[in-house]
Amino acid sequence: MTASALLETAALLGLFVLAGGGYGSLYSAGRLWSRPALIRAGGICWALTFVLALTIAIHTPLDPGWKLLILASAVVYAVIPPLTWRYLERLHDEQEPHQ
Amino acid sequence: MYRSQKLSLRYYTAAVALFGVMIVFGLLSALYYLYPAMLYNVFDFHMSKIMHIDTLVIWLLMGFLGAVYWYLPKELGIEVEGMWLAELMFWIFCVAVAIVALVFVFVQYGSANEFSMWFINQGRKYVEAPRWAAIGIVVVMAVFAYNVIATCIKARKMTGIMWVLVLDLIPLLAVYLDAFPAVTNMSVDLYWWWWLVHMWVESTWEVLIGCVMALVLMDVMGTSRRIVETWLYIEVMLVLGAGILGLGHHYFWIGTPQYWLGIGGFFSALEPLPLLGMVVHAIYDAGTHRMKTTNQPAFFWITAEAFGNFIGAGIWGFMMTLPQINLFSHGTQWTVSHGHFAFYGAYVCGIIAVLYVAKQQTSGVDMLAGRAWKWGFGLLNFGMVGMVMGLLLAGMAQAFYGRAIGGSTLMAFTSASENAWFVSGMWARLFFGFVFAAGYVVLVYDLLTAPKRVPVTRARLEPA
Amino acid sequence: MDIQDPSFWRAGAISTTLVMIVVLAFLSVDSMSVISVGGRNVPKYDVINHQIGYAYNWSRRADVPVIGGLEPLFGKTVTEAQATDLMRTGKLVIQSRACMDCHTIFGNGAYYGPDLTKSWLDPAWPQIWMPMTGKTTREDAMVEFLMHPDKYPTWSRQMPNLQLSEDEARATVAYLKWLSAIDTNGFPANFGQSGKQP
Repeated sequence: MTASALLETAALLGLFVLAGGGYGSLYSAGRLWSRPALIRAGGICWALTFVLALTIAIHTPLDPGWKLLILASAVVYAVIPPLTWRYLERLHDEQEPHQ
Repeated sequence: MYRSQKLSLRYYTAAVALFGVMIVFGLLSALYYLYPAMLYNVFDFHMSKIMHIDTLVIWLLMGFLGAVYWYLPKELGIEVEGMWLAELMFWIFCVAVAIVALVFVFVQYGSANEFSMWFINQGRKYVEAPRWAAIGIVVVMAVFAYNVIATCIKARKMTGIMWVLVLDLIPLLAVYLDAFPAVTNMSVDLYWWWWLVHMWVESTWEVLIGCVMALVLMDVMGTSRRIVETWLYIEVMLVLGAGILGLGHHYFWIGTPQYWLGIGGFFSALEPLPLLGMVVHAIYDAGTHRMKTTNQPAFFWITAEAFGNFIGAGIWGFMMTLPQINLFSHGTQWTVSHGHFAFYGAYVCGIIAVLYVAKQQTSGVDMLAGRAWKWGFGLLNFGMVGMVMGLLLAGMAQAFYGRAIGGSTLMAFTSASENAWFVSGMWARLFFGFVFAAGYVVLVYDLLTAPKRVPVTRARLEPA
Repeated sequence: MDIQDPSFWRAGAISTTLVMIVVLAFLSVDSMSVISVGGRNVPKYDVINHQIGYAYNWSRRADVPVIGGLEPLFGKTVTEAQATDLMRTGKLVIQSRACMDCHTIFGNGAYYGPDLTKSWLDPAWPQIWMPMTGKTTREDAMVEFLMHPDKYPTWSRQMPNLQLSEDEARATVAYLKWLSAIDTNGFPANFGQSGKQP
């Protein structure tokens, strides 16, 4: 890997997780305060996550196995926040119905 | 207040004091990079670094012990068994730490023989303490394990959290036995050393802090036991599921077989996924419990922990964990950047939260709020973020100029270390190190100041 | 199966952990056979009697150590037992002086000094220290430097004098030579190949 590819790839990998985190945070904040705009902003963040994964797959010299793993995790990122949120709601509704 | 809670306060005091010592030696270590002639042949970088990193391990460990001694009687409803032994151990622990520190400062190192290993310096990163002191730590941990298990037996009560804690004590103690050998073969030495370092830091400690956080969540936010236990099990499953073989990311370059590149890379690449779930969880909890919490500082530190963990371990870890990147980033300030952020996010924030829990309960106020803690929170977080950004810059310059272009030789290392990007990164780290230190001073001031009595009803109605 | 029930996750936590521990145990047994002295990646200690190089291997896509013909350390061939004794002392020097709290080995340690994994092969020995110390061989220059680092400053960060005896210094040099012969999956990359990138 060349020196400039090294830094570009590392930066893309970091941004990829950051965008995923941004999606998770915005989605959750949107659900918490019932703000569809925030959920939409979260969706844009996830789209960014996916674009970054594609960029990593096309642009960087990483081995194909890693590229596949990153693309797959971009898809998994999409479902983690809604699934976690739904699970938490169900868990809390069942445990603390009076609240 | 239970007797074990009084012991807990002593452990917290010792932990906070050592936190301060850690910061002092951290600042000193940072200064060597900018003033390399400082204290030359008197007290050199390696000793300062040992003090910084060993006090880190000890203060976090003392924080964990304090947190467990705090919650154990509350959880089981009886006083902790064998308290006199636990109290004795606390003093032995403190005296041993003081002796080791004095030996490190004044004797520093010995000759290449077993005597040095037993009484001066073992020279293995994180576990430099001489063997007699390492035995001391084993004894302290064994007594701690005895306290926990004997109290469970006496109380005839086992909660889910206690099961996880008790089972976690076994590997916690077992892997520490690896602090003793001086294996000649460096590859084998580092193989087992990583069991100790990784299994403590990325597995057993994670589980331990998970148990402590579960207890804090019930206490501070009033979350139901069933919920916290469910989350604790999920966390243990994810932490150990990814963490045990995540050990592989330390086995890329130590002589171990090539398959570790795949295994280590794969399992550490999975690590951000559960951390993302934890961020969602933190926001959910923040939303549902914010109005109910009577301990604002603890609440904010718990929330900071979820985000810090995601950024420090998740983002910073993912940037450098794939073998193709790690080949160049490993062993540079980039690693230091990740290490600082990950330790801070995963443990420091959590321990500070339990300190505030203790503060509220010892001072007996209904509502813990005020202004000073916010300054402490802000300065510590800002200082840490600034430090890791500076270190990241320095580390990237090293990986770029020293490794990828320069080819990792002495001259490459030297010229990368004199590169303007590297030097600016080091200055930034020093500056933000002082910001962090200022945050520590405010934290200590706030912890020691009696809280204002705020009527809880009004405080609860304040907007979120 | 109710995912709301803690016992579901308890079972998950226990089974996942057990599976991972078993896998790790198997991998550790295999790894030990590879990294024991004389294993596939870690040469016997008497490799110090040989010339050691480091070259890019296209099929491995990594730099690997190359063991060449005889080139005894300090001009004297050692037996396996003598080499083992040297290594034991060398490792104790590295621990007793806390070398890895400034330097790294295989990238592990502290980052104030350069990495020592391939330090035996560093061009700085013939280029800088042999002329500086007036020694005619790499190993003699290394011994002289290790015993009196304060006499041979090369840049602003200087190694402190850690009071190494001559025997300790020679054992350390032997240890560093052996280290350079370990197959580290290509770490560090491009060693000594400034500007040339594969």
